[in-house]
Amino acid sequence: MSNIVVFGGNSHPSLVNQICDNLGIKPSEVKLGKFSNGETSISIGESVREKDVYVIQSGCGHVNDNFLELLILLNACKTASASRVTAVMPYFCYSRQPDIPYTAKGAPLISKPKEVYTFESHPGTPLPSVLTTQKPLSHNVPENITECIIESAEELPDGLKQPLPKRLNMDTNLHKSPSQSRIPVVPEREENSSDLGSLFNASNAGYKLWVAQAGTLVANLLTTAGADHVITMDLHDAQFQGFFDIPVDNLYCKPIAQNYIQYNIPDYKEAVLVSPDAGGAKRAASIADALELSFALIHKERRSQLPKGPPNATFTSGGGLPISSHPLLGSSLGRSASHEMSHSSSKYVQTTMLVGDVRNKVCIIVDDLVDTSYTITRAAKLLKDQGASKVYALITHGVFSGDALNRVSQSAIDKIIVTNTVPQEKTIEVLGKDRVQVLNVSRVFGESIRRIHNGESISMLFEHGW
Amino acid sequence: MATNSIKLLAPDVHRGLAELVSKRLGIDLTDIKLKRDPSGEVSFSIGESVRDQDIFIIMQIGSGVVNDRVLELLVMINASKTASARRITAVIPNFPYARQDRKDKSRAPITAKLMADMLTTAGCDHVVTMDLHASQIQGFFDVPVDNLYAEPSVVRYIREHVNYKESIIISPDAGGAKRAAALADRLDLNFALIHKERARANEVSRMVLVGDVTDKVCIIVDDMADTCGTLAKAAEVLLDHRAKSVIAIVTHGVLSGKAIENINNSKLDRVVCTNTVPFEEKMKLCPKLDVIDVSAVLAESIRRLHNGESISYLFKNYPL
Repeated sequence: MSNIVVFGGNSHPSLVNQICDNLGIKPSEVKLGKFSNGETSISIGESVREKDVYVIQSGCGHVNDNFLELLILLNACKTASASRVTAVMPYFCYSRQPDIPYTAKGAPLISKPKEVYTFESHPGTPLPSVLTTQKPLSHNVPENITECIIESAEELPDGLKQPLPKRLNMDTNLHKSPSQSRIPVVPEREENSSDLGSLFNASNAGYKLWVAQAGTLVANLLTTAGADHVITMDLHDAQFQGFFDIPVDNLYCKPIAQNYIQYNIPDYKEAVLVSPDAGGAKRAASIADALELSFALIHKERRSQLPKGPPNATFTSGGGLPISSHPLLGSSLGRSASHEMSHSSSKYVQTTMLVGDVRNKVCIIVDDLVDTSYTITRAAKLLKDQGASKVYALITHGVFSGDALNRVSQSAIDKIIVTNTVPQEKTIEVLGKDRVQVLNVSRVFGESIRRIHNGESISMLFEHGW
Repeated sequence: MATNSIKLLAPDVHRGLAELVSKRLGIDLTDIKLKRDPSGEVSFSIGESVRDQDIFIIMQIGSGVVNDRVLELLVMINASKTASARRITAVIPNFPYARQDRKDKSRAPITAKLMADMLTTAGCDHVVTMDLHASQIQGFFDVPVDNLYAEPSVVRYIREHVNYKESIIISPDAGGAKRAAALADRLDLNFALIHKERARANEVSRMVLVGDVTDKVCIIVDDMADTCGTLAKAAEVLLDHRAKSVIAIVTHGVLSGKAIENINNSKLDRVVCTNTVPFEEKMKLCPKLDVIDVSAVLAESIRRLHNGESISYLFKNYPL
């Protein structure tokens, strides 16, 4: 390996060392620190003139400090006449909108560490199975509700005659951008004007809270700093690659994950892969396809709260639907869609539901990122409530901010499998060695650096891993 | 409906200067919400429409979490840009990383240039700053930069609060000689210089005084005070040369690290900073600190920029 220089940032030194071990070289000397006023200072200890430079920095820890440190390092290498500068970001920061829960007024709901967590969404998740003892309130639940709804929609007055949202079609859910569902929705009318309420609504009614997306900005900043190439793993949105004017190699964790499932999960042939939200369905489905496993989906959605009035509101009452292999696919979804149309002014609530059968099965939740852990801990509870025998969580980037680790440790997740794109020492400390398995991605990164340096194809890494 | 009016944006922390500017202009600060995720990332939303408006983002960058402030500023600029603002002006009185403006050793980053590029990339159309460490930094930008001077405000302060007829202006290093000499000319005072040999950043080794300070009130003038080690040492040197008393006037009082301790233990009578850097809480810890308010200069420059008037008047005169 001649002419190659690898620098590591402050965020994840152990991964840098492992990647360098795989390449058979030593990380190059760089001094990283801060001036007394808080500005980042760096000094590069060896020549980079006409060298192929790789700077490894994960977007974890103190994100903004680490990101600026990366930018300054890239810029320093560029101005020191490096021939090519590549940013290696195992976890790409600012690649998604935050999925922290918000209050109805749009303020972030950041929970403080608690003794006990409930993992319930509000209102409670509807249970479509016999586990609920509630009797149906209506005696005449038609066999085919979907058709019935569509018929009734035609009887609506003209003003309300809109095409029904095609919630029954799985494809529309699959291709829905995950960020969409994460933008906090602020109801237009506020009941009591608190600070935030008046902030966003009182003086300018009709202005919807709009959250800036930092994606393009981050891409442009990297290019501005002088990056010629970016290597990352499991980008939250694959579309993110399009924000860059430079090549972006998005590596996949999938081969490593597949390998783990095959060799470490007993009776994996009977397991069910579960995507905790619609945005990740494709990711989970592709692993399920490759291993020929069955697949289930947990669907989070915001919908208008159902009024207590209608006697046949099967959605809130939960039980009583004919049990089939596709418990929720048709019926209650179609029903609630119609409610949303007729009660558009009512409050929005978030609810989760499971599509697919997990009874007495081992479930493997697959997601690219766990930050606050709200999504997966709720998913795990839902799966256990539906009769899953064991719940694994297979995560690429375990950021675990705030009190996420405490939530996970109290949740129904039996084992969490996570890669070392983000340091996981604390995860092991909190959850214990038996409940955490850290997968090593340094070989994939090492090999991709080797191949990019030598000008070889890296597409083989997408399929087979390393 | 007024079109293309001034919108003032400021982050939710350190908005003291922005509030003063807003008061002076008679324009309320625009409602914004900056969220810091538990993971540390910044997300930002503006509470009202800014389409086709003239945006001024007032950002005070002090010591400590500089990088967070920089990212917040960039996200705010970018958000305004994508929200179809007509023009975005970043008002950054204390320009971050201004001291890393050259390759002082091999492979050192020119971070000031990187900051300039990043601001432009984010969508900034204009930059207003004050007393840049090196005015050449203006050349790093592809967009217009207005480098305001604190000098008129400082002159006013000296006239009103110091017995300036018995004073002498001191530059604590050769680099600041020009600034100090200009101020001395304005006030028609004498001028002396301290030459120092710097061993490492934020550390001072030996000082030599050039000029006579006997029985004078010494006014040390500098653009930035960081740990205040230099100022404390300079005060000692001046008093050793039979100066009557010593005060320091700096534009950007970053006052990081042991600054407060250094000032309290030093022989300085007073340390006066402008409010380009937030240091309200430090004033409680240190009775020797005093403030020069520059919000009037910034407010006037914002008004003139918006109306397309000349700014150069403000370089020499304090606005009424």
